Parts: sequence; structure tokens; C-alpha cells
Amino acid sequence: MQLKPTRGVLVLVTGLLTLTSRPAVAAGLEFDEQTAGPMFRYFADSDHVGVKSYMADYNMTLPSQVGMSMHWNTEQVTIPAVHAPVGSQEAVDAITTASRPISGNAYEDFVKVRNEFQGGVTRGPAELDYYVSNESDYLAQQIAGRYDLDLNEQLNLSFGSSYGWDDIEPLADDDTQTGPSTKTTLHMNAVATQVVSSTTMVRYGVEYNVVEGLQHNPYRNVYAGGTNVPERHPEHRERRDAFVKLNRFFDNRSSVRLSYRLYNDDWGIVSHELSSKLSQYITQGMFVRYQYRYYTQTPARFYRDEYLTTNGVDGYLSGDYRVGPLSAHLFGLSLNFDLGTMASSMPVFGRTALVIGYERYFNSNNYSADFLETGLDFRF
Amino acid sequence: MSHGRGLRLWHALMVVCALLGASGCAQVRAYQRERLTDRIMSFKAEAREDARLTKSFEAREGSTGGNGGAGGGCACN
Repeated sequence: MQLKPTRGVLVLVTGLLTLTSRPAVAAGLEFDEQTAGPMFRYFADSDHVGVKSYMADYNMTLPSQVGMSMHWNTEQVTIPAVHAPVGSQEAVDAITTASRPISGNAYEDFVKVRNEFQGGVTRGPAELDYYVSNESDYLAQQIAGRYDLDLNEQLNLSFGSSYGWDDIEPLADDDTQTGPSTKTTLHMNAVATQVVSSTTMVRYGVEYNVVEGLQHNPYRNVYAGGTNVPERHPEHRERRDAFVKLNRFFDNRSSVRLSYRLYNDDWGIVSHELSSKLSQYITQGMFVRYQYRYYTQTPARFYRDEYLTTNGVDGYLSGDYRVGPLSAHLFGLSLNFDLGTMASSMPVFGRTALVIGYERYFNSNNYSADFLETGLDFRF
Repeated sequence: MSHGRGLRLWHALMVVCALLGASGCAQVRAYQRERLTDRIMSFKAEAREDARLTKSFEAREGSTGGNGGAGGGCACN
């Protein structure tokens, strides 16, 4: 399959030319500051799904308030083979609800690679981004724009919007035959960032998304009317959320961030998210961060574990736990080292930062996952 | 929780946000903002980490958002 990004690249190139087209910049080409950094992230969950992510970021600031950023990510995703005995009910259940194509042999690992690139350019208060992600059965592209406005010395307003368009071509599957399809996402947001005092900042905002097109996993089936049939979600979804985040600095060189998000959509899902982060300097240039997050959601109106008939609820069927009732917890711990201040006698470490982090996620569906990441940031 | 109650909560939160925006805050001069620009206070410094986590959550939960899309300013100017 050849899914190729085209429109997005044109938009990005046009934006780059427009936002950076100033004679002074072209003649000067002096970089005020550049940062670059590789990062590795490993994910493993209780279903034995594994994801290895190899990332790299590069940012530079040019004169005249022009900046450019790039982000690459290559991921290898491994979805394990079915381990239940052939023909057993457990195997049938595993195959039916698999979020992977089952073609020929469900008893082999399914491995796929996903490549992602994001490029952006800023000039003064304006920013333009292009994003593309490509894998064997999915091509996602997005353009995004943002404008920041300083109302006064205490308050900044930001207005952003993005448009994404996805091409989906499911791979061959023995028990589900979903044809090629598309999905579009229109996003808008308004965010305010306010200085409350010399130690406290607050950020709050609202977001709105309209999604059109294929929105269910094309490989999943659900039990209905005594058999199993492909899942089917509505092709229209309106999603909105409001959030508030509070950051406060304390005299013992620590900070606390508290945040809350309320979300709902026209599928009937209402969710609440509460999270907290505590960051504490241990020495100059080294701090530790503790994190906790609680999440809960109500199910979509059409969600059922099993349906009486193949008509489902209003024609829609889903046994996907992501649109079912759910609560989840996340605990995290990370260490951040500024190697330049810790090893000032070794110039090789000057202006280099190292981060090591671990997160543990678990939810009410007896699902758990571990995230491990490590990365470097070079400033030059 | 019913869908209607969720909508009411959402509207209430927006009203709170509007009141926050309209409220007056103590004037904080540029030389008083050292702590606000510290790495452990910066919204921008955490944006990359937040985006990665949000992506992980979106693959396992039914909601999205909370990062303000493309981001926001720092109110530091």
C-alpha cells in the first residue's frame, strides 16, 4: 500500500517560506539558540503488547523572533500471538476481540512499524505545524496553527486550530472485511495563561473537536445475537473539554502542579481527570518529579459487552473497553539531571540534560502498563 | 453520571474560567518572575512529556484533550 503525504508538505513549505521570508534573516542566518535531543521510550502492558519508540527533537531560534522545530519518532509495535489452545473458547474470544489483523495465523506475533514527523515554524506570536504519521494500514496528516496574544503583563491568550485527515486501509483480515476509509478531525482551542503572583501561575482553556469518518477498530468483532459481528461506531463525534492547571513554587525549591479536566462527547462519554505533580530540587541542577493521575469515564450509550441482536443499539455495536465504563490510576517518577552544573569540570557535559522516567498505569479492566523512558537534551 | 449533568458541569467550569480571566491579580514585575521561569514551573518545559502521555492515554481511554492543542503562551512577556 502506498499512502503518501502531499497536501500537508505543501502547506508546511508554504508556511515556512511565508513566516521566515525576511531579508534580515536570510542574510544573517545567525542561530540564537539550538536544542537537540534523542529519547528512547519503552512500553509494555499486561496483554504483552510492546512498543519501542526512538525519538529525536531539534529546535532552533533565529533572529527576528523566528523559530523552527522538528520531531521524529519511529516506533516498533509488537502485538503477541494468541496463546490459548487452538479451537478453545479462550482462543475464539482472543481472536474476536483482537486489535490486530488475523490473517491465516493468529498464533504468530504481529509486528508493525510506525514513522512520525512533526515540523513547525514560529514567528512572533504565530505558529504553524505539520504532522504526518505513517504505518502499514494508516496514514495520518494534520496542519495546525496558533496565535498568542499578550493582553497585559499578567495574561496571555492563545487561540489554536488544527485539521487532520487520515487514510485508513485495513490489512487482510479473516473475520472482518472493512474497506478503505477516511477520517477527518477539526480541532479548536482557546487557552489562557495567567500570572497570579510571583510564585503562582494558572492555565485554563476549552477545546472542541469534530470527528467525521471511520472511528472503530476495523479488526475488532463483538458478540451479538449469538454470533460475532464487526464493531460499528457512529461516523460523527463531537468532543469537548475544559481544563485548569495550577502551578505553585515553594520556598524549599519545589513546585506543585494540580490539574483537572472535564470531558464529554455526543456518544455519551463523560470523563474526569485529576492529576498532580510534585517537583523537588535535590541539588543544584537535579530534581525529582513525582506524579499521580486519576481518571474515570462513563460508557458510550451504545457500548455493551454483548448484544441481543446484530442491530446493536441504534445500529451501533462496540465491546471496545475504551468506550466502556473505566477508571484508571497512574503513578510516575522521573529524575532530571543538568549535567553541566553537576560536572562543571567536564566540558563535554556542558549544556546537556538527562532525564530518566518511569510510569505505572492500571485500570478497572485488570489492565496495567509500564512506561520507561530516557533522553538527553543538548543546548548549543 | 448522566450526559446532562456532564454538560452542566462543563458549562460551570467555563464560567469559572471566565471569572478567573476577569479577576484582577497582583501586579508581578519582570524582575519578580525568576521562580515562574524555573524549569520546574514551566508549562512549556512539560509540554513534550504531557503530549507523550496524552497520546498513550488516548489509545486506552475514551476521551481526549487537556493540553490546549498546539499549546499556549507563558504570560512571561
